Amino acid sequence: MPVKKEKEPLIMHPRPSSIVAALYTLRDLDTDVVILHGPPGCSFKHARLLEEDGMRVVTTSLDETGFVFGGHDALVEVLEKVIERFNPGRIGIVGTCASMIIGEELHEAVTQVQPDVPVIEVDVHAGYRDNTKGVVMALESALASGIISEAEFERQKALLKEATMVEKRHGAASKEYLEPNRGDLKYKVAGRLLELLKQGKKGLNILNAKKETAFMFADVNLAVAQVAEKLGSGSNIVNMANLDDNVGLPKNRRNAREIKEDLKEKGFEIHHIIGGLDEYPVAGNTADRIIGEKYSDYDFAVISGVPHALPMDNIKNMELFSVTNGPRQVVPLKDMGHTHVVVEIDLHPKTLGVSHIVESEFGATLREMVKDA
Amino acid sequence: MPKQIAIYGKGGIGKSSTASNVAAACADEGYRVTIIGCDPKSDSSITLLQGRRIPTIMDLMREGIDIKEADIVFNGYKGVKCIEIGGPEPGIGCAGRGIIVAISLLKKISRAIEDTDLVIYDVPGDIVCGGFVAPVKKGLVNEAYVLTSGEYMPLYAANNICKGLSRLEMTLNGVICNSRGALNEEKIVSEFAKEVGSQLLAFIPKDVLVQTCERDGYSVIEKAPDSQIAAVYRKLAKSIMGKRDGKIPVPLDDSRLRELTRI
Ligand code: SF4
Repeated sequence: MPVKKEKEPLIMHPRPSSIVAALYTLRDLDTDVVILHGPPGCSFKHARLLEEDGMRVVTTSLDETGFVFGGHDALVEVLEKVIERFNPGRIGIVGTCASMIIGEELHEAVTQVQPDVPVIEVDVHAGYRDNTKGVVMALESALASGIISEAEFERQKALLKEATMVEKRHGAASKEYLEPNRGDLKYKVAGRLLELLKQGKKGLNILNAKKETAFMFADVNLAVAQVAEKLGSGSNIVNMANLDDNVGLPKNRRNAREIKEDLKEKGFEIHHIIGGLDEYPVAGNTADRIIGEKYSDYDFAVISGVPHALPMDNIKNMELFSVTNGPRQVVPLKDMGHTHVVVEIDLHPKTLGVSHIVESEFGATLREMVKDA
Repeated sequence: MPKQIAIYGKGGIGKSSTASNVAAACADEGYRVTIIGCDPKSDSSITLLQGRRIPTIMDLMREGIDIKEADIVFNGYKGVKCIEIGGPEPGIGCAGRGIIVAISLLKKISRAIEDTDLVIYDVPGDIVCGGFVAPVKKGLVNEAYVLTSGEYMPLYAANNICKGLSRLEMTLNGVICNSRGALNEEKIVSEFAKEVGSQLLAFIPKDVLVQTCERDGYSVIEKAPDSQIAAVYRKLAKSIMGKRDGKIPVPLDDSRLRELTRI
């Protein structure tokens, strides 16, 4: 007997698209140029942002004529131009809703042009519930063209599954409609944190950030350590970070290394490495285990990046300070029991194309306020 | 690799009858056969299933069913695997996209197109858009056949299909004439086949037996195995299963096509 699929709850606020997710994955794979096969406006904001990271994103600019008569010739033309103009070592071709609906075969163009560098073709549109689907599809093609190993593919897939679950449990996919919210006032939250430090309370300082966003979130943790030092309670702080540079796709390893070097230079000591930059959905579990073993009697915790991926088990009695970049993450975090939630607005665009830690607003606030303390 | 064929031709010309009779004849010979109906009417397999209509992939998709192989692949006459793709309601949505989605789903949940000797795609009337040629474009078809009669309209459609195939650089492996009783029919179709660079594989005479059996839910192979018409289908099946190289067809221009029908 055919079984009906369990109906997933309706989610009405727009979420990141699988096309964009595929684009980011291609960047992490060190792809030089990506061709978006479809309308010129498709995913334009992210396409532009990704150029900050050094990857070129171009479009075949399909218009009404292309939708009706097909876009094969346009794709061939753009592919040839891309090879000639950028001389790339690795090319990506990404589908869009429009080209996929009309049945465009990305591979046909590749067969015709026969580039002598690898081409990762991703037959993706934006009609998937979870944007992680776009990541999986990009990785599948990367696996097929021998760019990543089977083991790395399986590892990534497991992480994505977890990431999807994290979003469904307490993240942006947890509610039908999530109101965006700017979070608590930074100076108030910073004041409270300084108070605790002055009282000599013991705190956990945890970075659990997603990929390049760590360039700014790390600054939050750095600032916490710096102000604690200033207030003479530096030894009361335990630092954890998902900055393992031995795992993940090329870009993530590189970024973890860069952030670690910056932190080291500033005298920041990481007591526990809880995972790699792509392990944010599971690194929280590692942190949770370590806390359970050693620090369950601590008074407070500052968690930056993806705070909702940290299980509440061992931190529920602590005063929690969360720093996120998602305005839609505020309500779910408060619901979980995070006392203070701070949003770093526009964090993502500021962390693309960088190789050093970027100042955060919350970090700057802490540093400024400690001067008067 | 199994032989994967698609049968094209004008709507109503008898593709489904031909497809199911060829499927049955091949099954008689001991081949493992899979038939995939791509027409919203979903009647490619009905005569292999004793008149039973099976749920189409798109019916189940619409209902939000978590589709498993057993929901869409059915065993018909002598183990012929029957699959119907179906389509959206007329005038709603996009049937071409439906075919793309259904085929990729099928590939994911079933080995019916790999673990077999012959796959027959019974495709809709004409190649009208990118979605309808998905089986060809996805590399799931390695031989194409055109079914026509000697009348102008079916020939016109057949010629159009040749245009589509040559555009896709897909070979044409043979032309089949399903007779409508037109004058000089066999000669016309055989000449057409030659001129597009192919050959006439079979001339299927008009025989009410085909319709009578169909009405009861059977192929002639099953219901009237000793009939003359069954022998014709068997011969056609044999020639399809035989090894033959196809050629990318060269479509005729309209005036030549008109001339042909006047022979
Ligand atoms: S709907 Fe799809 S194809 Fe169209 S702009 Fe949005 S993401 Fe691009």
